[in-house]
Amino acid sequence: MTIVAVHSASPAGRAALAHAGREALLTADDLVVVAADPRHRAPTTDEVLGELGDMADRLREAGLTVTVGHSPLTDPSEAVVQIAQQHDARLIVLGLRHRTPVGKLLLGSTAQRILLEATCPVLAVKSAAS
Amino acid sequence: MFDSALSALASLAQPSLLVMLLVGVAAGLVMGLIPGLGGTGAVAILLPVTFGMEPAQAFALLIGALAVVHTSDTVSAVLLGAPGSASASVTMLDGYAMARRGQAKRALSLAFLSSMAGGIIGALGLTLAIPLARPLVLSFASPELFMLTVLGVSLAAVLSRGNVVKGVLCGLLGLLLGMVGTSPTTAEERFTGGSLFLGDGLSLVAVALGIFGLAEIATRVGQRRTGRNLVTLGGGWGAGIREWLTHWTQVVRGSLIGIWAGVLPGVGATAGTWLAYGQAVATSKDKRKFGKGDPRGIVGPESANNSVEAGDLIPTLLFGIPGGVPSAMLLGMLLTYGIQPGPSIVTEHLDLMYLIIWCFAIASVVGAFLCFLGTPTLARLTKVPFAVLGPGLLVVMLLGAFQGEAQIGDLWVMILLGVVGWVLKATDSPRAPFLIGFVLAIPMERYYYLTASLNDGLGWMARPWVIVFLAVLVGPALWALVKLVRRRRDLASDDGHAAAAQLMHSDDEAETDGLLKNSPWSLSVAVVALLVFAGALWASSGFSPEAALLPRLVSVAGLLVGLVLLVQELRHRKRWMRSGLQESRTVATALRTFAIMIAFLSLVMVVGYLAAVLVFVPAYLLFIARARTRTTIVYTLVLGLALITLPSLIPVDLPTGLLG
Repeated sequence: MTIVAVHSASPAGRAALAHAGREALLTADDLVVVAADPRHRAPTTDEVLGELGDMADRLREAGLTVTVGHSPLTDPSEAVVQIAQQHDARLIVLGLRHRTPVGKLLLGSTAQRILLEATCPVLAVKSAAS
Repeated sequence: MFDSALSALASLAQPSLLVMLLVGVAAGLVMGLIPGLGGTGAVAILLPVTFGMEPAQAFALLIGALAVVHTSDTVSAVLLGAPGSASASVTMLDGYAMARRGQAKRALSLAFLSSMAGGIIGALGLTLAIPLARPLVLSFASPELFMLTVLGVSLAAVLSRGNVVKGVLCGLLGLLLGMVGTSPTTAEERFTGGSLFLGDGLSLVAVALGIFGLAEIATRVGQRRTGRNLVTLGGGWGAGIREWLTHWTQVVRGSLIGIWAGVLPGVGATAGTWLAYGQAVATSKDKRKFGKGDPRGIVGPESANNSVEAGDLIPTLLFGIPGGVPSAMLLGMLLTYGIQPGPSIVTEHLDLMYLIIWCFAIASVVGAFLCFLGTPTLARLTKVPFAVLGPGLLVVMLLGAFQGEAQIGDLWVMILLGVVGWVLKATDSPRAPFLIGFVLAIPMERYYYLTASLNDGLGWMARPWVIVFLAVLVGPALWALVKLVRRRRDLASDDGHAAAAQLMHSDDEAETDGLLKNSPWSLSVAVVALLVFAGALWASSGFSPEAALLPRLVSVAGLLVGLVLLVQELRHRKRWMRSGLQESRTVATALRTFAIMIAFLSLVMVVGYLAAVLVFVPAYLLFIARARTRTTIVYTLVLGLALITLPSLIPVDLPTGLLG
């Protein structure tokens, strides 16, 4: 089976990736990383492996693969849900950022849409700082 | 009301109207295939043909073309993976994927049928809008109509893609350009420099074809089609037709989104189709196949892009504010016939309104039918590289612009505006508000003058609808401010929708768009705009107070907005990209193309149009487009023959030179 990690260049995103790596090791699942920040270029597999650090080595030793998923859909939340469906993923791991109450009211949230639309369980992770 | 609708249908039984409608449909289908023309190009090229016709015939021709442009633009997107227009690039996602799996006919039949239904639902929307808006429209007087023109320009500026500041600046530049010529209030000449030619104002066709048409030629001539081959037409039509019936909810939803996108000024077919695609993805549970050949990814957007053009007509005809660029030109045409959109069209010219609706619906059906029949032929047309089409288009566009006043000066204006349009396009400044501003400048001034002379003081500002329009005007400004603050706070990773919308804007047009964004070029746009507004302000000091009021207001607003843009550009200076190879090559191609256009027009002034075409076209094809000799000879002969026979078929004048 597969675990989908939602990647973004933020503390919460890094926390999500690390947690997804740990989950993958625990349950022996392959890891598919999806970029959720369309303003930045999607990371390459090497960059993701670099971010995972020594977890990458342990995943490789366990015979598990780490890939970057690409989708033609431009909305990041749709892209994440689509890739999870295509891989028949067991779990989606995403990072949540702290928000003020007004911020919660005003902003459409990628995380919220993934939570509502995903057809598999979703695990939300917060960064250590917040 | 029902009677007018029926009598309009009966009038379509006239052979002359039907012929015009069919000619329009055929022309629209061909123009949909040519990349970059779209509805704007179709209306701009056909508009000159209608000079001298009755309004009904002219509209049959133009609406026929406008209704089907988005039906045929799918063909190249599906078969070649290269969209004929920006809005067809959405269909490409799923359509091309489906075609590569050998199901091209399935994809095309889904697209054609959806286009047809989109057109019909759009026409229905237009029909329903009349009784709904009629009481409202009839209660409007000059203060409301003035506010509507202001609203039209500002909404177009705010809602257009990209930077809002640039949008507003373009809208103001358009308004200023529209004021060149005789003032509607005092009959004195403004910004003409004493020139008799400018006294009549600039020709709408010349402005539209320059800003959009020539600019498009200049960017596309350099692109050569990649060696991609056409996908063979596989699969059956029947399967697609049956499947289409099961997706009728997507058709309805797509069309409604299209109508809404059309009603909003400045939101055109491109944004409308992306919205429709977005809703198709968002509302389906199983998203696995989107982008890999999901029929829902074709049906929704294809319905939307046809209904957008019908939606555009709603505010154009009922309120006199164009919803998009093609309808801005239709509005300009209505005004030349002396038909005031708004109150007068729903009382005196209701039959014309219904005629437009019938034409739209019938053209949608006929266009889809012709597409089914003609796809194998149409498919071969899409393989022609733009470099070969370029000179023919140039010849046709220049000839079109000449028809209005038969002045060679119009053609120079057109080429000059072509350069302006190209710079705007390359620096990612929206051009729709520019044209909408140009069209609305004179109505705005006239309504303001009426408002000011019929009402004492500012009492008209308290009229209920004026207040509503003011609120609509201020609302987006506040929203823009909120967005700005949000961006300041740099809430980067989690506001997916806004970010997706930005991305959506950046890849829905040709790659060369915005290539010169954040470069000395865009800085110079700000500087030149400032200079233009300063010059206009200085020049308007010589006008009488009544004639000077609006030019002065526009100039001052332009100066302020220009300053904001200048500050923005200077702040972005650090992000200037090193001028890359691609960038300098694009600039060189465009500059060379404009130089060629100037050379051609100079040649026309010396030897006349026909002779100039016979020299220019083969030379261009052989030495620049590097076409085969046989192609060149046939091309030139056909074009030459067309130019000789055309004046005897329809009233067309060829520009003459010094030597005849």
